[in-house]
Amino acid sequence: MPSLKPLRAPDLTTTTTTSTIDEVERPWNVVVWNDPVTPMQVVVVVFKKIFGYADNKATALMLTVHHEGRAIVWSGAADKAQSYCVKLQVAGLMATIEQDAS
Amino acid sequence: MAKLFARRRDGRIEVKLNDEGRAVAREAFGRVYVAEHDSEHEWHKTLNSPIDPSRDLDDPMLVLARQSQTGSNAELAIATLHEQFLTPQEAWAWLTTLQVALRATAVVNNIYDEDHLAAADPVLLDYVRTLQIFLFALAELL
Repeated sequence: MPSLKPLRAPDLTTTTTTSTIDEVERPWNVVVWNDPVTPMQVVVVVFKKIFGYADNKATALMLTVHHEGRAIVWSGAADKAQSYCVKLQVAGLMATIEQDAS
Repeated sequence: MAKLFARRRDGRIEVKLNDEGRAVAREAFGRVYVAEHDSEHEWHKTLNSPIDPSRDLDDPMLVLARQSQTGSNAELAIATLHEQFLTPQEAWAWLTTLQVALRATAVVNNIYDEDHLAAADPVLLDYVRTLQIFLFALAELL
């Protein structure tokens, strides 16, 4: 005899935890670090060429690197952050990527 | 001081370096090219610094892309070493290769801050200052 019990709907809810979602969605930062030999003008030119930044934005970021030791010069998707980081390293700047902490 | 580089109306960069200046550039370009291909070269590690320090190893494809681009820039710089006029792309290859050489020089000589730079050997300091002057002159035109 067929059961009269209603069929149980499959569980379609995701089992992914909130922290995992956050980790995937948090942007990646491209960080440029200060060094004592690179001319400031070179840093500005590299930022303009690689990111297409205007002169005032590139200069402001260069000054942040110079005064604070590092600056986040771009944030976004991991693959693009990696690509930008490689371009900066090829241009001779000290650059790394890190996932945004917030 | 005489100009080391000048921008022409057609967009090309004129190289006004004398023989001594070109010899400095040749040495820097050559060292970058060799260092990129020779894992035993003292600059090799500097040219292969981490992309994502939170990981034990970077993506090999990214590392390969970086090696390829750095090597291509050095090759283009070497190939145009004796040119009187550079296209903007060639001038960019000169700038990036000189900058890679400058930073590698600083790293292998433990020049991590202004104090270390000021205390550097006079011959080394002279070399660093020369590369900085070349870079500043090029950056003004790009």
